[in-house]
Amino acid sequence: MLWKRQIPILIVSLIGFATLLGWFFDQPTFKSFVDDDATQWFDILAAFAIFLGGLNLLKLQTQKVLMKQKGWQYSLFAIGGLLFAIVAGFFVKGNPEVAWGAHVTSKGTLFKWMFNYMVSPMQATMFALLAFYVASASYRAFRIRNFEATLLLSSGIIIMIGRVPLGSYISSWFILYLIVLVGGIVVNTIFKNKQYTAVAVLAGIILVTVTGSSMGWPVDKPAVFYLPYLQEWIYRYPNSAGSRSIMIGIGLGIFGTSIRYILGIERSYIGE
Amino acid sequence: MNYLVELILKLAKVDRRWIFLIIGFVVLIPLIYPLALPIRPGKDSKEVYDFVEGLADSSKVLLSCEYGPSTKPEIHPMVTSLLHHLFSLDRGHKVYVVCLWPDGQFMAEEALEEVAEKRFGLTYGEDYVMLGFRPGNEAVVKGIVSDLRKLYTIDAKGTKIEDIPMMEGINRFEDFDFLFSGSAGYPGTTEWVQFAADPTSVPMSTGTTSIQVNEMMPYVLGGQIKGILAGMPGAAEYEELIGVKGIGTSGMDAQSVAHFVIVLFIFLGNLGYFIERKRSKKHQGS
Amino acid sequence: MDILGAWIAVFLTLAIFSFLYKDNAFYKIAEHLFVGVSAGYWMSFNFWTQIQPNLLGRLWPSIRYSEDSWWYSLYDTFSFFAGSIFPAGGIDKGHDMHLIYLFPLLLGMMMLFSLYKPLSWMARWGIAYTVGMAAGLRAYGVLNSNVIGQVKNTIIPIVGTDLPFFSLTGDSYFNNLIILIGTVTGLLYFYFSREQTGHFSKVTKVGIYFLMISFGASFGFAVMGRISLLIGRFLDLIKYSGSDFHHASIWVLIAMVILLGYSAYQEKESSS
Repeated sequence: MLWKRQIPILIVSLIGFATLLGWFFDQPTFKSFVDDDATQWFDILAAFAIFLGGLNLLKLQTQKVLMKQKGWQYSLFAIGGLLFAIVAGFFVKGNPEVAWGAHVTSKGTLFKWMFNYMVSPMQATMFALLAFYVASASYRAFRIRNFEATLLLSSGIIIMIGRVPLGSYISSWFILYLIVLVGGIVVNTIFKNKQYTAVAVLAGIILVTVTGSSMGWPVDKPAVFYLPYLQEWIYRYPNSAGSRSIMIGIGLGIFGTSIRYILGIERSYIGE
Repeated sequence: MNYLVELILKLAKVDRRWIFLIIGFVVLIPLIYPLALPIRPGKDSKEVYDFVEGLADSSKVLLSCEYGPSTKPEIHPMVTSLLHHLFSLDRGHKVYVVCLWPDGQFMAEEALEEVAEKRFGLTYGEDYVMLGFRPGNEAVVKGIVSDLRKLYTIDAKGTKIEDIPMMEGINRFEDFDFLFSGSAGYPGTTEWVQFAADPTSVPMSTGTTSIQVNEMMPYVLGGQIKGILAGMPGAAEYEELIGVKGIGTSGMDAQSVAHFVIVLFIFLGNLGYFIERKRSKKHQGS
Repeated sequence: MDILGAWIAVFLTLAIFSFLYKDNAFYKIAEHLFVGVSAGYWMSFNFWTQIQPNLLGRLWPSIRYSEDSWWYSLYDTFSFFAGSIFPAGGIDKGHDMHLIYLFPLLLGMMMLFSLYKPLSWMARWGIAYTVGMAAGLRAYGVLNSNVIGQVKNTIIPIVGTDLPFFSLTGDSYFNNLIILIGTVTGLLYFYFSREQTGHFSKVTKVGIYFLMISFGASFGFAVMGRISLLIGRFLDLIKYSGSDFHHASIWVLIAMVILLGYSAYQEKESSS
């Protein structure tokens, strides 16, 4: 129990306190240990953790093949891929002029070839799939059910259109006409009277047309309806206010959780 | 009118694979047949540009690359444009490249080869140096802040740091005049702000993926980051400012059309939803 | 090798994209290959950039090499079996000897022993170290920049200076007021220790609106980001469709469409 529970908790507390106090103590030996050696150990252990992950994968996939579980044939590709990467990393350099160690970053090596033509395309494509799902979700799932959802979608649409070059071609007056039409729908919803709706829409159209004609239909005036300026205002001010409140809230949460780990209250890393 | 309503309702239930196909074509066609839409630089991109323009002669610039192949279309044009901007000013700026992501090292090497080596014919070790990747996330940032030479004893090519001429006088983060972080996630800009820029007041700018921009805006507004290149549009804006068009600019045509199509999808989807809702209310009423 | 690499990259890209049609053998092969190759890639990369230079390079630095030393005799034994990892004469990465690094070596080896189920508890020590270090680093960093820094930046002038009342693209009283109100009301929304009723609920409702604007902007940026990734993949596929690469994209696409179409036809026949 001591080895499995108390010592790990002690390690977290000791190292956590040392790292935290390292910001406040100016003692050279302590500071040097915390800033340099302790940091290096963290890097080294992170590297070992990656090694552990890779070996674990090999173990699980091999078990799947040996026990002929469902889809075991595909596991052969996983094992083959891992072994190929190990061979490229440890046994076959492919470029005798490059030293071991530098071969993982140098050109002309088998390892770099594997990165350029296997790892890189597959990684990028996995992420690129998300573009299709975002489009599908936009069509099938995003619904204006209430005022909050309307705000969300409106700000999203304004940002999406306003940030791209095509958005700068949309005149403020087009947006004003759209607002007049939306206003007409709102009037119709409230009063349910076709005459009122028609009068409201007509009045709006006349007002916009007269104002626009008198100003000469400039694309970017009134500026508040020009999408590139509007999106910049939304993204710098109301959006930042919301993001800031989220950031402060999350920051306080992270601080609290870190202190819980250091004090040994939170012990999820040992399965408790 | 009824036919139109029925068509909209039918479209609302369409197989999503048709949506995938439409998006595929909508992104592909402008890449093959560009529209050459003009780019209008925004305030945040201009702030980065102006800050780089205003750097004192022979400034030491730390460039940190934390992106990989998946986010290369967004961040790589920013990094190459920044390198081009720094070297084209011809004011003796020195560029030191570190990477918090392993993939970042490959990306940075590609950028340095394209710009520093081929475009400007600069000398490695005198004008630019690739210190390379070190694992450890924020611990690496902390290490650079306290004692860079303990963390980086050799550069990415295996040369000892003390043998590199431009490393003279560089011992910690405060010896740099400016930091630019090309970041696609964790570890990245946030860690640089929290552990390096804020505690030391070395000015920094950043270029991030579009998804991260919202997280970074509080830092930008608070002055902790001097401007931000926001995703591919930010990269295109910076290319426009330096006058060298690249992938950022060429991608904006496809980006524009795709956004319009997605907005159209949202509009059509909601139209179908409202019609459906009105019909079900009528049925309930009757 | 580059042409072979291009064909492999195109196959893997289109195999992953084929998932958009439906789950199929091409996708499963690419997915398993991705998992295996990525694991092997990370293992190799981290070994050569971290474990070998920073850990082994500090335990057996070339600067202290001595044939008479028992410690280096152990090194020479390792060197006999793995000369690439343990080059003759010690590891020259600019470090001096720091035997204190036996501690992270021990923790790292314990992590690897945890692959054997009865010894799985051994990984806890290494994990505890990384958790403690991360907690200590985060506690300070997040509190300083995300909480105190953001609160400081929210203290902005709303009266008394020569700012304009409203500006779409620059600082103004109205914009500063928006930031202040948005941040405070957004934060109040996250205050769950008190029931959100009465006047308090009106205030938190305003906070929700700011948060919705922020989420909408995040959605817009997310769409932008995903489309950018897709653009990157398509640019590569367009490059590989050229004559330099023997029109790889086109041939692989045709082959996949034919094979997937045939498989769909066979499925339809067997189901009917």
